[in-house]
Parts: sequence; structure tokens; C-alpha cells
Amino acid sequence: MHIGVFVCHCGSNISGTVDCPQTAKAAGEFPDVVYSTDEMYTCSEPGQESIIRAIKEHNLDGVVVASCSPRMHEATFRRTVERAGLNPYMFEMANIREHVSWVGRDKALNTRKAIDLIGMAVAKLRNGTPLFSERFNVTRKLMVIGGGVAGIQAALDAADSGIEVVLVERETTIGGKMAKLDKTFPTIDCSSCVLGPKMVEVAQHPKITLYAASEVDNVSGYVGNFTVQVRKRAVYVDWDACTGCGLCTEKCPSRKTPDPFNELIATTTAINIPFPQAIPKKATINPDYCLQLTKGKCGVCAKVCPVGCIDFEQQDKIEEVQVGAIVVATGYDLFDYSVYKQYGAGKLPDVITSLQYERLLNASGPTGGHVLRPSDGAEPKHVVFIQCVGSRDKSKGRAYCSSFCCMYTAKQAILTKSHLPDSQSYVFYMDIRSPGKGYDEFTRRTQELYGAQYIRGRVSSIHQHGSSLVVRGADTLAGMQVEIKADLVVLAVGIEPSRNSQKLAATLHISADTDGFFMEGHPKLKPVETNTAGVFLAGCCQGPRDIPTSVSMGSAAAAKAMVLFSNEQLESDPQVATVNATRCVGCYKCVKTCPFGAILESEDRWKNPKAEVLPTICKGCGICSVTCPHGAIQLNHFTDNQLLAEVNAICPLPTI
Amino acid sequence: MNVLETMKKCIREALPDLDMVMGWEQGFDTLHATPLFMETAEDVDRLILGPTCVQSLAVHLPSLKGKKIGVVVKGCDSRAVVQLLSENLLNRENLVIFGFGCDGVVSLSRLKKKLGALDFIESAEKKDDRLCIEINGEQQDLPFDDICAPKCLTCSRPNAIISDHFAGPQRTPRIPAKGKTALEKFEEKSLPERFDFWKAQMQRCVRCYACRDSCPMCVCRDHCVAVSRNPHFVSQEATASENFMFQLIHVMHLAGRCVSCGECERACPMDIPLGLLRAKSTEVTSALFNQEAGLDQEAVLPLLSFNIEEETIEEHD
Ligand SMILES: Cc1cc2nc3c(=O)[nH]c(=O)nc-3n(C[C@H](O)[C@H](O)[C@H](O)COP(=O)(O)OP(=O)(O)OC[C@H]3O[C@@H](n4cnc5c(N)ncnc54)[C@H](O)[C@@H]3O)c2cc1C
Ligand code: SF4
Ligand code: SF4
Ligand code: SF4
Ligand code: SF4
Repeated sequence: MHIGVFVCHCGSNISGTVDCPQTAKAAGEFPDVVYSTDEMYTCSEPGQESIIRAIKEHNLDGVVVASCSPRMHEATFRRTVERAGLNPYMFEMANIREHVSWVGRDKALNTRKAIDLIGMAVAKLRNGTPLFSERFNVTRKLMVIGGGVAGIQAALDAADSGIEVVLVERETTIGGKMAKLDKTFPTIDCSSCVLGPKMVEVAQHPKITLYAASEVDNVSGYVGNFTVQVRKRAVYVDWDACTGCGLCTEKCPSRKTPDPFNELIATTTAINIPFPQAIPKKATINPDYCLQLTKGKCGVCAKVCPVGCIDFEQQDKIEEVQVGAIVVATGYDLFDYSVYKQYGAGKLPDVITSLQYERLLNASGPTGGHVLRPSDGAEPKHVVFIQCVGSRDKSKGRAYCSSFCCMYTAKQAILTKSHLPDSQSYVFYMDIRSPGKGYDEFTRRTQELYGAQYIRGRVSSIHQHGSSLVVRGADTLAGMQVEIKADLVVLAVGIEPSRNSQKLAATLHISADTDGFFMEGHPKLKPVETNTAGVFLAGCCQGPRDIPTSVSMGSAAAAKAMVLFSNEQLESDPQVATVNATRCVGCYKCVKTCPFGAILESEDRWKNPKAEVLPTICKGCGICSVTCPHGAIQLNHFTDNQLLAEVNAICPLPTI
Repeated sequence: MNVLETMKKCIREALPDLDMVMGWEQGFDTLHATPLFMETAEDVDRLILGPTCVQSLAVHLPSLKGKKIGVVVKGCDSRAVVQLLSENLLNRENLVIFGFGCDGVVSLSRLKKKLGALDFIESAEKKDDRLCIEINGEQQDLPFDDICAPKCLTCSRPNAIISDHFAGPQRTPRIPAKGKTALEKFEEKSLPERFDFWKAQMQRCVRCYACRDSCPMCVCRDHCVAVSRNPHFVSQEATASENFMFQLIHVMHLAGRCVSCGECERACPMDIPLGLLRAKSTEVTSALFNQEAGLDQEAVLPLLSFNIEEETIEEHD
């Protein structure tokens, strides 16, 4: 072979702590290396050109670039060598930035390590083979999981560009949290006035199919060709026939049914439409509270329904949908604050969550938009807001900031003043975080114009005292203890990934960070991608963010899907497992360990059992090749021989 | 009827429906048994059962997949059958298992250490807990525990744990001896001492592959990585490091699958204590996955399945 080695300075990122010229010189001594040099920025236009020139001049048939992480530029350099006529897989990268220059300070040692890593890359390349991709067709259909504002935006943008969209929503209506909010910061415009039209558009868009009260059970396939099993939960109403007239909900005698749309501060009927603007506007029976379904007698709704669409026998239905890409927009849930004993552990009726307060402020909420406290229905005079409940608190396993609570607390303080002009609000805070257009002005207005009193410090206890609550805490700026008699306490409860997110991550083969939010492909450069091709993220499922950012992410994810769908065909990644049929003994151990179900129990012409890899499904994880005892299944580009050559390059055989 | 006659009767009755039944017959003297492949009723007459029936016949089963086979198993052999079944390497429908309660088997290498060369054996017979043996014209009467296979001293499953026919009485398991196991004693040594020990042992290995070929769980046969060039894990040089690499490959491939039958160690002509390496890997895998190989045909094998989170491994803090 004729191998060329290019050692990158990366400005001073690498050359600051690695002697690049010396490294390049040493690399020239490795077997088969006929050319080696160092470059200021190998990834730059001139850097790439010099690789192409060297390939031509020195007749190279393999290239090693020693620079940054392959996650950064492997694709770049593969294209470079391809432009010069080489197979893109006759290229190896040695990571001497993240693995060397950024982690060690000793220049001599770093230089030695850089040389070692290049030695490994050269050894691997010498055992490499050219690889070729296959082309396959793309199903131009997008699935969006989660119909909050982020998912709605993604669905609408994609549908407007002409792509078929399937929107899967777990609840009986789309809208997510935003549908529950009263007004939104920083403009105090009515949430349902902004969101409502978008929801209607979803319902009317000819390119969008909506599956509400549905969840994704299983996903198989690969980018461009996913097969998704959607479970349509039994709602006991024939939605095709239901007109949403609501007669049934007026007559249903089971009136003590918990109302999750109103965050459980009110009750509703067993058959119910969550709110007037619900999309789809269809009735659903809660089977745990329906008298017919629990006790076998009632059936009032069935009698009053003018179109006869009640169906007590309805079962869950599984539907299979073929899509080419998936946007995940499953949003968030509130943290269970009952672990905070000092805030009454969820036992004090007049200590409520921020989202419950939104419902009290909302004209379509249970109090018709009059702020009346839950215990006795009285108008509160003194309202205390406590921020960072379950955010930035390591002791509760919540080290992160929920990002939008500072802002909505300020909003809620303003709204309190406009609903109850005689009221006084107090806000206990840790810091005010309001970096956004018009955001800091907004929190200032809350204090200066609306007279909310901001107290920097934590609350140590809340006690019931007669009909009011005594809130004790510290004012760390004044350096003293404070005690406030409050009529209502609102907790700005932190957020966590939507329930069952872990399961969904496993179903989609995407990863989650330590807090459970889905992992983006790259924190800076791939914020809406995941490491699974064809699966994108939008909104709070990736981390806490407010509405404007969730919406931007929805659009961005849709754009990524459009880019994908702009190709008639996609190229498969040839770095997949292949079975050497003459060596395979058909034990199917690999079939059992493959996490992606990519291996079939197959047979050869003589009916001998043999394993067979489906290259489009294989993700190249390599678990099968470590399972097969005799190496009959090898991962292309990471074969046992390549890895052994790398090991032997850094650990020459000891003589024992 | 004694155990042997009961067993013969069972086999004769089952034989017409089978291609073959595997058992043991006397070898060149009464101390050595050799595998017997019974195809006719007359073949069955030569069957023996007893302390010389050391080989695990399970080793032949995977290569006979597809045929209808009967096999006679001791307790320890039966675990290999269970393990092979759980790995789908055998078809249960094509297999008839003849079990019995084993009373322990002799270890020729321990016997050799006591008596020197074992060339002229007139007779060898187990009487209660002693082995009576006539060698070079001399009568020797040895406590059986001194010359049995080490695994028999702590055998917790002398009775075949899976069988279609069981001949004779059930034997009572041995209560594990108090005190340290061989592995625990070995691990009291320092790391350099242990490494030197293995270096010396591995220098003696002649790479005959008897350990591999006698292992009932080594099913790759002709495709073993020890002899393949692609992938090329080890060279054919019989240096200590290459030999060690081969042994560690065997241990890794047996991790979570080794049924502790001791066949590898028994077969080794160089008396290398291979069981120590296997015991270590069994200790690690059973601690990690809370599972022992070859006990449950339905078991989902920890290293032959994929879980995002292992129940017994703390991956996050
Ligand atoms: C009290 C409060 C007040 C707020 N006020 C403001 C404000 O004034 N201005 C502002 O900008 N932001 C505000 N926010 C933040 C705002 O709620 C979020 O930014 C926004 O809702 C995020 O939208 P999303 O689509 O990512 O998530 P969500 O709104 O949570 O939507 C997720 C959707 O996915 C569905 N879903 C979840 N899991 C599944 C599944 N497995 N399968 C199918 N569907 C699933 C859910 O049912 C839901 O419909 C406030 C938040 C709170 C708590
Ligand atoms: S593990 Fe190896 S031998 Fe067994 S089926 Fe898979 S490729 Fe074939
Ligand atoms: S590399 Fe092997 S185990 Fe991994 S996805 Fe591909 S076939 Fe499955
Ligand atoms: S490694 Fe040795 S003890 Fe383990 S199953 Fe194989 S032969 Fe038996
Ligand atoms: S049986 Fe003994 S000598 Fe033969 S290969 Fe195995 S360890 Fe080496």
C-alpha cells in the first residue's frame, strides 16, 4: 500500500501541546507510509486540496488524517479522498485533539501518544478494504410523535411543503401544555388565541393524519423506511361518527371524574371533551369512572347521543404506518413536588403548582378565569410564588434549571395583579434568569409596574394557620428571616421528560442524557438530530425551553425531514456486519444479541443453518461480532483483524 | 436388577427408534473406559457404568444434530446437555437422555501421582468408598476421595438433572467441603506470583487442543479462531504468550456457558490446571448475572441476549 499521513495543527488547538512536524516525521517511518506532512488546518479548502494533490503525486491508495474527532470531520475527509478517486473507506482518522492535545499538557508525552495513535490508524488502514454503499428508496412520509406546540409546528411545516404527515398524540387532544396556559410571556397574549388556529389547521390540513389517544408501540426499520406500530387506545366512542356536540357530557351522572386537563383542580364527567377548542373535538370515556364500564349499569350517554356513536365494547387497535422519518416532540411533565416536605408535600390545598394556577387564571378553566383558591373558593389577597421547586436542587436529583419558570412566574405575578387589583404578590427566587428578547424588561416591569415583591432566598416552611398559610423563609439580600401570611402559594415546579420517555427512547433506539431528556446528535452542530438517522427532536423532550424556541425547533426538525425527503434514494452505510457463510456454524448466538433485530436465522443452498444480516437494519454496533465465538460475523471497517492490528501496533507482543 | 441392567433394558427398549445411543465400554484395561456407540441390541451388552466412565459424551451431541440420538449421562454431563439445549444447539425431540446417579469418577492423573505409571492393571473396582486396584501384581486399596476427580469431591448434582429414563437410585449430593476452594487459595498469592505461575504453565502447553476438543460447549470445531487466519487472533507459535491468548479466548468464549464439567483439565496431557481459569470466569459471571450455566433449559443466557440495562449491574450513579 501507499499511505499518506496528514497531521493537523488545528491552529494552535493541537500544535499547542503536540509537536506536529516531529509527529509527521515519525509517522513517515510506519510501514507502507510513503508520504507524511503537517498542515495548519487540514479541513480547510487548501488543506483538503493538499490531500488531493498528494494522492495524485504519490499515488496514494490510503489516507490517514490525524486531527480532531471523527464525529467532527470524518465525513468531510471521506468526501475529500473520494474526490481524488479513492474509496472513501480507505481513510482513517486519528483523533489527536480530543484524545491528546486537549487532555494532556506534557508536550513530549503528547507527541508520543499522537504518534502511537497514528501508528494504530495506519495499522488499521493496512488491514482495511474498500466498501461500497447500496441505494434504497425513501418513503416520503413523516411521523411526528407528540402534539404539543413543537410537534404541531413540525407537522404543519412539513405538510405545507407537501409531505404526508402522521401526528401521534397520547392525550385525547393536541395542544400540549400550551393549550392549558392562560396568557404567554413576554407579550401577555392569549395562549389559545395563538395556538388555537394552528390546532385547527392541523385538523383541516389535507396532508396531516391525526392519531389522538394513541401511542407508538414499536418501531422497526431504518432511515427512509420505518415501520411504526401505533396503538389507538380504546376511547369507547366511535370517533368517525362523534360530532363533538357534547350532549353526552351534560347527562353523564359520574361527575367526580378527575380532570387531567385542569391539572386535577377540578372534576369532570366520565365521558368528556377536555376543552371547547380540543382537536379532535371528540368525546372520550374514562373507563375507570364510567358506571357502565365499572358497574355494568348506566349507559346514559349511549341513550342521549344523537348519532349513536358510544361503543362500550371498543378495544385498543394497532395500526401499522410506514414512514421515512420521525420527529419526536413529546415535551415534558411537571416534577412531583411532594418530595418537598417543607412545601406541605402536596397536602395543603392552597399550595398549588404553576400549571394549576394557569388553569385558575384561564377563562376556560374551572373557575371561569376568576382567581379563587381551592380550599374555600375565596379570592386570595396575598399570593406567594416560590421558584426553583425541583430545579437546580442537587439534593433532589435535579441539578438542571427548568429555564422558563422565572419568566412564567413573572407573568403570573402580572396576571395576578390584573385579575385582583388589591392583591400583593411575593416571589421567592434564587436568581432571575431572563435572557431573551424583551425578557429582562418583562421581569423588571413585574416588579416596578405591578409591584410584585421579589425576595431572594429559599422558603423553609409553609404551615396552615387558620384559613391562611404562613410562609417562612430567608431574605438573603437583607440578611434576615421573613414570614409572610399568604392566602395562596404557587410553586414554580421544575420539569422532567414526559412520562415513559425512557421506553420511547428504547423503542426509537435514541439515547437520553442523565436527566432523561433525549440526546441531540451534537450539542452545537446537530441540536435537532439524534444519533439515529432519520429521527429528529423538537421542543422540551430534548431539554427545557420556552414556546418560541420549541416552535423554532419544530420548524428546524421539519426542515431536516425535508432535506432527507429531497432525495429519491438514500445511500446505505456500508459499515455493517457481514457473515462469512463458510465459517458460520449457524448457532444463532448473534441473532440473540443483536439489539436491532438485524440478523435473520437463514439457510444456505444446502439447508445448513446460517446467519444473515439485513444491511439496511444493521446499525454497525458490533455486538454480534463479539458474540460469535469464531469471528464468522465481522463488522465492515472494524474487523477483528483491523482491531487486532491496532492493538498490536500499540502493544508489540511481549516475549514471555 | 442392578443399575447397569436397568440401564441396558431401557436402552434396548428405546434403541429401535434411535439411530444410536452413546455410553461407555471397557477400554484396554479395567481402569480405562472408552465411548461406546450402540446401534444394535448386541452393542448394548458391552455397556458399563461406574467410576471409570469419565468422559462426557455430550461433547459429541452437537455434531450429531439432525440424527435421533440417545445419550447416557452422569450428573455433570447432564448440565452440558441442558446448556446445549438452552443454546438451541440440540433438538430436544431428537434426543433421548438416559440418566443415572453418579458415585464419582476416578482421576487418572491423581492416581498416577499416587501409583506411578498405570501400565499393568489387572483389575480395578470400587468397593464402598475405596478403590481396589491390582497393579503390577500388587493389590492396592485406596480411599476413593484421594483418587477421584476433584470435581466429585464437591459435586452438588450427582444425579442427571434432565433425563427421559433414570436408572437406579438417586445419589445424595456431597456437602461442599469447608475451607477455601482451590481458586480462593490461588488468589491469596500476589499478582506477580500468579502471573509467573501461569507463565510457567503456559510454557508447558503443547497446543494439542485436547482441552478444546473435549469441551462439550466448544461447538465451532473446524472454525475455531485458534486456527483461523481470518480473523487472525493467534499464531501457531507455541510460545507462552500465544498459548495464553488461546486459553483466554477459550475462557472468554465459555464465560457464562462453562458447565464446570472439568473435561478440559482432564483431557490435558500436560496436567495444566485449566479448571482454575474456568472457575474464575464462572465466579465473575455468576456474581454479575446471578446465573449458573447448564441448570435451566429455558434460561435466557446473560451473555447471549441484549438488555439496555442489566438488572445486576449498576451502570449509572
Ligand atoms: C406553568 C407554565 C407556564 C408557561 N408559560 C409559558 C409562557 O408564557 N411562554 C412560553 O414561551 N412558555 C411557557 N411555558 C413553557 C411551555 O409550556 C413549553 O415551552 C411548551 O409547552 C413546550 O412545548 P412542547 O411541544 O415541547 O411540549 P408539550 O407542550 O409538553 O407537548 C408535548 C405533547 O406530546 C404528547 N406526548 C408526550 N408523550 C407522548 C408519547 N409517548 N406519545 C405521543 N404523544 C406524547 C403530550 O401529550 C403533549 O401533547 C410555560 C410552562 C409552564 C409549566
Ligand atoms: S454467532 Fe457466528 S456462527 Fe453463530 S450464527 Fe452468528 S455468525 Fe454464525
Ligand atoms: S453490528 Fe451486528 S449486532 Fe450490531 S446491529 Fe449490526 S447485525 Fe446487529
Ligand atoms: S471449559 Fe472445561 S469445564 Fe467448562 S464446559 Fe468446557 S470442558 Fe467443561
Ligand atoms: S489440552 Fe493442555 S496442552 Fe493441550 S492445548 Fe489445552 S492446555 Fe494446551
